[in-house]
Amino acid sequence: MTVADKQRLRQVRSAILGNRPDTSVSNALYPVYVAVIAAASYGVPAAQQLFRSLDGKWLAAHAWTPVGAIVALSFTAALLALVPLVGRVHGPVVPPLPYLELVVDSPMPRKVTLARNWQLSFGGSVVGGLLIGAVGGAGLAIAKVVAPVVLMPATVCGALIGVLVAELWLQGQVHSTPLALRPDSSLPRGRRNALALLDITGLKRQAASNATIGGAVLAGDLRTARLDAARPPTHARQVHLRPSGPLLVIARRDLLGLRRAPWSALYGLGLAAAGSAGLMLSLQSPRTPTLAPLVAMILAYLGFGALCEGLRLHADNSGTSRLLGLAYRDTALAHLVVPVSAWAASAAVVSLPLYMTGLLRPSAMVWALGAGALLAGAHLMASFRGLPPAGVFGPRAGVPAMIFWYSKPLLATLVLGTATAAWGARSATPWMAFSWLLIAAAGIVQWGLKLVDKRDRRS
Amino acid sequence: MLGRRSAAVPAVREPVSHALRATGVGKKIDEAVLLLPTDVELGAAECVVLRGPNGSGKTTLLRILAGTMSPSQGEATLDGSAVDERHDSTRTTIAALIGAPATYRDLTLVDHLVLIDSTWGHVGKPAADRADEILELLEIDHLAQRFPHELSSGQQQLFHLSMVLVRPSSILILDEPEQRLDPDKRDLLTAILLDRKDDGSGLLIACHDPVMTAALADSVVDIRSE
Repeated sequence: MTVADKQRLRQVRSAILGNRPDTSVSNALYPVYVAVIAAASYGVPAAQQLFRSLDGKWLAAHAWTPVGAIVALSFTAALLALVPLVGRVHGPVVPPLPYLELVVDSPMPRKVTLARNWQLSFGGSVVGGLLIGAVGGAGLAIAKVVAPVVLMPATVCGALIGVLVAELWLQGQVHSTPLALRPDSSLPRGRRNALALLDITGLKRQAASNATIGGAVLAGDLRTARLDAARPPTHARQVHLRPSGPLLVIARRDLLGLRRAPWSALYGLGLAAAGSAGLMLSLQSPRTPTLAPLVAMILAYLGFGALCEGLRLHADNSGTSRLLGLAYRDTALAHLVVPVSAWAASAAVVSLPLYMTGLLRPSAMVWALGAGALLAGAHLMASFRGLPPAGVFGPRAGVPAMIFWYSKPLLATLVLGTATAAWGARSATPWMAFSWLLIAAAGIVQWGLKLVDKRDRRS
Repeated sequence: MLGRRSAAVPAVREPVSHALRATGVGKKIDEAVLLLPTDVELGAAECVVLRGPNGSGKTTLLRILAGTMSPSQGEATLDGSAVDERHDSTRTTIAALIGAPATYRDLTLVDHLVLIDSTWGHVGKPAADRADEILELLEIDHLAQRFPHELSSGQQQLFHLSMVLVRPSSILILDEPEQRLDPDKRDLLTAILLDRKDDGSGLLIACHDPVMTAALADSVVDIRSE
């Protein structure tokens, strides 16, 4: 940035601020201060408790093995691979709409007008990574999983990952802009010129989406946030929905929806396969750490959820003119046919090679089917939960209450799925644990159906 | 499947005489009067048009007669029983377009019509044929493979009308169906609705278009405002 550029930007900022003092530095530093306090007072104790509860001895034995390193690297790489996707929906450089209209749209260089937003996001990402590294390192050291000396490299690694996250985030935003990859563009490409490659249409779209999503999150309306973030489908328009019976056509609708969102289908099937395999393998030995079924249930929940778009759309459509000739509850149940079948199919596919190599007993497949019922009930709950009650926004409740309210389906799945799997793996009578899994699944399905009926009555 | 012309309006239920009646129906929420007491009577093969200024309560009356809202006073009945959308028989008899219906963002126009038709129990090839016929009828068959978010506002309105027309019904309730349509499309819609009436459907329509009203209405109910 040249001296002249700095001078012009200063003029712009003073015009925006008017007579008010420039508090931008303190505004940027305050969240850092709060994050540091929160990390030290809540993050470190929570992290060390988490590592202790996840079988600290097992973690200590495996942390420094090649397998442990591969798992850690794979996990980090998977997270980094997701970052550009986030940038496509919400990038690191999203100034407010008036600033875009009046300043960024002016002849001033984009590298100048967008520099401050980029620096803030970059700084936030680096500080965030640093704090996560420090909290994780401290938690591992206090739980005696690793030596205290690991704290420093963990912090540095966290900061470096923060740098990578920021760069990948920006690249994701650049690639989402309509003009960014135009072959006839004379603008130089590359990391250094990334800010100049951001076009005004893409920036405005993200700024508008930012306002919608931000408002929706503050209001506890995740449906609006989800629909705003999702890309409208345009694939496979030439494939038609085949006519069939009333219930079958709903399942066919969901299959067609997945065909038109192939990445969602692949992601769902992949996670469902990984989750079901992890769950079935975790039942094979009483020495399996509780962490294994917990991670497996998280993957299973995410995978099953990706296959439930039809169910969520049915819940979204409540309250409008009814055109379908099916009862509301029947339609909701019909929307579960595809995700439950896909879950069962992916579990069967992954169990076959595991069974043939002697890693799995056939009874594990039955367990996976029981877990499928639990997942179906949890996603009924998640799709039809509606908006949080007013009490969640009260002065005594706050953000944790809202997060808890939204997380109920996930928490129910994790607690019940993990507890019964851990019990089943350690018990001499695993059928007893399986019976409790089925009872819990039936309860969760009933809870979900109650929410469906409640939404039906309100619409 | 596409490209054929058909003058048929295929979604009329077998002609059964149904009577939709509002007797002294009014709606109040606290002190706010949404609808002053009003009488309406609709029989088979008959069209009643509701007229009145904005805010007079036309949509409220349509909602009450579609069974999605209960009146504060008076009585709304379908064949002598209180009209209630939760009854299967009400939903089977009445098809309503009051506000924009929900659409699936991952289905094309023709998929929506096949889905609706299939859920009403039409199995096999006719569902796809009927979907095509409805799209042709409304002259939007060239949009069959578009997604709802790829339509203009007028095309959206025609698509919404197609979703109501494709499902079987004996009574059609439409809230300002002429909205956002150009004059040619209004003429087309008028012709389609006249065909439905001739086939035995009862039509209850809130309408601001005097030409459509004159062409369709057997009787006009002027809704008073406070």
